[in-house]
Amino acid sequence: MKAFNTMLKTEIKLSLRGMDMVIFAICMPIAATVILGIIYGNKPAFEGAEYTFLAQSFGALSTIAIAAGGVMGLPLLVSDYRHKKILKRFKVTPVSPALILAVHVVIYMLYSVVSLVLVYITAALFFGFNMVGGLQTWIYFLGSYFLIMLSMFSIGIMVGGIAKNQKTAGIIASVLYFPMLIFSGATLPYEVMPMSLQRVADVMPLTHGIKLLKATSLGLPIDGVLFPIILIVSIAVVCIIISIRFFKWE
Amino acid sequence: METIINVENLCKSYGDIRAVQNVNISVCRGEVFGLLGANGAGKSTTIECILGTRKHDSGNVSVLGLNPHIEKNRKALFEKVGVQFQEANYQDKITVWELCEVTSSLYKTPASYQALLKQFSIEDKMKSPVNELSGGQKQRLFIVLALLPNPEVVFLDELTTGLDPRARRDVWKCLSELKSKGLTILLTSHFMDEVEILCNKIIILKKGNIIFQGTVNEAIENSPHEKFEDAYLWYTDESEVAENESI
Repeated sequence: MKAFNTMLKTEIKLSLRGMDMVIFAICMPIAATVILGIIYGNKPAFEGAEYTFLAQSFGALSTIAIAAGGVMGLPLLVSDYRHKKILKRFKVTPVSPALILAVHVVIYMLYSVVSLVLVYITAALFFGFNMVGGLQTWIYFLGSYFLIMLSMFSIGIMVGGIAKNQKTAGIIASVLYFPMLIFSGATLPYEVMPMSLQRVADVMPLTHGIKLLKATSLGLPIDGVLFPIILIVSIAVVCIIISIRFFKWE
Repeated sequence: METIINVENLCKSYGDIRAVQNVNISVCRGEVFGLLGANGAGKSTTIECILGTRKHDSGNVSVLGLNPHIEKNRKALFEKVGVQFQEANYQDKITVWELCEVTSSLYKTPASYQALLKQFSIEDKMKSPVNELSGGQKQRLFIVLALLPNPEVVFLDELTTGLDPRARRDVWKCLSELKSKGLTILLTSHFMDEVEILCNKIIILKKGNIIFQGTVNEAIENSPHEKFEDAYLWYTDESEVAENESI
């Protein structure tokens, strides 16, 4: 535990010094919230809707940090630490190199949660957003949120763990991250996309995660959520199995 | 005397290349053992097989009586073994103090890094980023890290490569002190003056084979030369001369 805590403290400091995650996981979601808030204000999501456009987008905005940490941050970090032989160094200590990976999973989790809180505060304070339905809604929402985190992070660990080098990891991360950021509805709302683009979006796992968050945060009927849950859990399971089987420590 | 590192008939190939063949090493407590040879002779492979970070094809390895290739031994073993690798393995932007603190936290009863940094005269660099240290300072820091577990044995891979003469002598001084305190050291080096000063026993590797095993003095006596460096070159060149002659 001592090792975990010390490492967590130090790696958080190093991560903050790097600034990347502060920009992509903290500043960007807030900026996107402000932009959507300014454009759509308190307008209803569609004519006759009981919820606002921003309320509809809240779930999506809260996943920007998960995507940044999971499919960009983690693959780059894992391949970088392997390249620098930091993972290998841990092999000649009493502590497993898996511990430093666990530390980073926790750090990216913290970024996501901080981002969720800040997005909520921004939306609530400046654009009058609140989560309808109280505690139960929050429990469902957070349950979905952590499920999405699990599957995105397992994609990241898998990519970082099996990519041949940093360059490959960087390319795969970009290929996963940027389309996901723009076309899964995380920044550009799914609802404003033309049908053809929505079909493309439906290929991305995050799109289904966001659908799940929308359903839970807006208190929509439960029958639409089974497919996203199965899909997200399957992705997590597959990626975790591949990671355990093929992860390269050096 | 108690055997700290024992290697019997170690063999390791990479595809068709035989990196290490039938290497036997025995290092007793308090000895400084030098593993010599040109680049590619198999020194690093040997060390990695001894540490268990690389799987050997055949042979037996034990360190402090434990087999490092058995996963459940590793936790206990590496409480007592310090390792300095050839490459610098540390995070970007990390400071000396942070690296020492994290490394300390991995061990149950670590040595005081403040005291070690002082002993190696880099205590004034505590707050500096590691990558801003000079070559000599970095190398001394990595020795400090290897000593943090309060080890019974340390592995030092090319510890003074890239250092200026003054920095090398500083490192030797530190190691001589550790040697006098009874620490067991296995090191690799390309500098024969250093080996002469520090090592009780040496082996010279060539293309994965041991071509000499014994003390520095024995190495000189068994060669036609009077200086150890000349003797070393004679050992490592000998067969090449023969090969060239046969052509």
